[in-house]
Amino acid sequence: MSGVSLERVTKSFGDVTVIPPLDLEIASREFVVLVGPSGCGKTTTLRMIAGLELPTTGTVRIGERDVTNLRPGLRNCSMVFQNYALYPHMTVAENIGYGMRVRGTPKSEIDAAVKDAARILNLDPYLDRRPKQLSGGQRQRVAIGRAIVRNPDVFLFDEPLSNLDAKLRIEMRTEIKSLHRRLQTTVVYVTHDQVEAMTMADRVVVMNGGRIEQAADPITLYERPRNLFVAAFIGAPSMNFIEGEIVRDGGLRFRAAGGVDILLPVNRSAAYEVALGEPVVAGIRPEHTVRGAGGTAEVTLQVRDIEPLGPHTLLIGALGEATFTAQVAASVRAAPDDRVTVPVDVEKMHIFRKATGDVIPVP
Amino acid sequence: MSIRNLNGRSRAWALIGCLFWFLFTLFPIYWVIITSFKTSLSVVGQARFIPFVDFEPSLLAWQELFGGVRGEFMNTFIASTIVSLSSAVLATAIGAMAAYALVRFPFRVKLAAGLVFFVVALGGYLLGANVFGWSRATAMFAAFGLALLLSLLVNRVRVPGPILGNDDIIFWFVSQRMFPPIVAAFALFLMYSEIGRLGFKMIDTYVGLTLAYIAFSLPIVIWLMRDFFAALPVEVEEAAMVDNVPSWRIFTGIVVPMSTPGLVATFMITLAFVWNEFLFALFLTNARWQTLPILVAGQNSQRGDEWWSISAAALIAIVPMMVMAAILSRLMRSGLLLGAIK
Repeated sequence: MSGVSLERVTKSFGDVTVIPPLDLEIASREFVVLVGPSGCGKTTTLRMIAGLELPTTGTVRIGERDVTNLRPGLRNCSMVFQNYALYPHMTVAENIGYGMRVRGTPKSEIDAAVKDAARILNLDPYLDRRPKQLSGGQRQRVAIGRAIVRNPDVFLFDEPLSNLDAKLRIEMRTEIKSLHRRLQTTVVYVTHDQVEAMTMADRVVVMNGGRIEQAADPITLYERPRNLFVAAFIGAPSMNFIEGEIVRDGGLRFRAAGGVDILLPVNRSAAYEVALGEPVVAGIRPEHTVRGAGGTAEVTLQVRDIEPLGPHTLLIGALGEATFTAQVAASVRAAPDDRVTVPVDVEKMHIFRKATGDVIPVP
Repeated sequence: MSIRNLNGRSRAWALIGCLFWFLFTLFPIYWVIITSFKTSLSVVGQARFIPFVDFEPSLLAWQELFGGVRGEFMNTFIASTIVSLSSAVLATAIGAMAAYALVRFPFRVKLAAGLVFFVVALGGYLLGANVFGWSRATAMFAAFGLALLLSLLVNRVRVPGPILGNDDIIFWFVSQRMFPPIVAAFALFLMYSEIGRLGFKMIDTYVGLTLAYIAFSLPIVIWLMRDFFAALPVEVEEAAMVDNVPSWRIFTGIVVPMSTPGLVATFMITLAFVWNEFLFALFLTNARWQTLPILVAGQNSQRGDEWWSISAAALIAIVPMMVMAAILSRLMRSGLLLGAIK
């Protein structure tokens, strides 16, 4: 078992710098998900760990070994690709056992390993089939089986579920998680789907433009986003942002266009005082438009659309210039163009500096 | 758009058009077949189309052909078969490896290194042959060896000038098929005769002819195979790389099986090219390793316009290719890649 560490790693393709200096420590047995929009460098980072790309500068370590310039085969990683990348001319069993066969493992040992992997992944009935006779989910399981028998130090997953349909994706999510629990191997998993990231990871690394915006466990990311990017990226539906300013008017208040006037909690006054008079952005998640324990404010929005989801209903409306989504009880009846007043849980509200996008830390 | 989607009159017209084209392409073959069964009597005068009605078929041409009256027919047939099969196999194998390397590995060749090769090869040859008084072949080998060594060296050191990449190398390969083959054929003949003076017989030998064919088939093989390899999903090879499969096993165990249709098609094209090739065979062979095209063409000049025997010889030249194409067409089917990726 070994962790992975990237030290001051950079990657440029010609003149284009994809990864500015990046540091990342992944502990042994940790399930780390790299998440971010397309082109944020998450796949490049994964490929540098695998050795399929060499970093322009910096050091990559797996366990205690410096693998920066080692070829992929010697790093003892296993990789699962988005498009499965199976060997089309081999059966499932041959696909899983091919690497071992090439390395000269005795046949009995290969058979045992293939059987074991097939049992874990429920592939027993398909061992003699070719990839083209399998469904997408089965193909991805074969790819995972091929990774398991390697008995790697690190599992690398490159958006493995993106090509599966929604239902299968949720199933496979659980399967990969339980696989990690069973095998106790370090996993680095790349996805652009924040739900996948939140549900699977021990720790989520949110990347943007080659930089790590925040690396933390899912709940911390959700509850204490470090900046506007993370706040906007994590959570569905996305956090509402209202631009405004903090003023002192019998306690600190957040004021913005559209009649927004929110009294900020007293215990945070000291923290928010530093941003007095400065342009700030308030962030409120749709699910926090409820009455909170630590004081409640209200905002009135002009409803544009209603999305009844069953358990609750989303009101999508305008608050001044900003779009604002509120989650209300399913029983609330509203129609477009109604003006609806919803409560806001100020304890769950975040204030970001507009200039830098950084959150103003609160106790 | 398919004929199946057409209706009424346009469908009829399309069918008539196809039928016409079918007959148009098939007629020459039919004509050659019946002519090979004609005698001199049935060839002269008006055209005769239908055997047993227009003319009485005869086996004379075929008897003469296999009886050896018309030159060493069996020998030529065997020579043609050996040379074309071996050069097609070797050219496809070497070309496929080169194409794969050019698709997957970035090469950087300095233009200066190329210039050094050209200057040293030409200058060294002239110097060796004219100043040192070496034999031409010796001078050539020495100059080419030195040029290769020097250009490899120059490519390693820092020199100014542009750097050529894989596309330039491919273009360089393909460019060798842009000049008329006669240019190469004549030079090759001279080179072979000079090497012959050193004691290595190249003219009218299996090695000489096969080498020439391999060299001349390589550009087309590389060019065709490059597209097939470029179309393969690179992730499959990357998966094998991560799995510690050595490069040559990736090529033979994964890439080649995945690109079988392309390899077979390329092999077929190369085989047909070598089988039909006339110019090199004319220059580089004279008796023992003469090939079929030379023999067929020679029929006319040796004995006059004996169309029945020319037809029989032409058929013998056509049939093996048709058989090969029929056998290999099963392997050319697509869909081998299904299941590799989404």
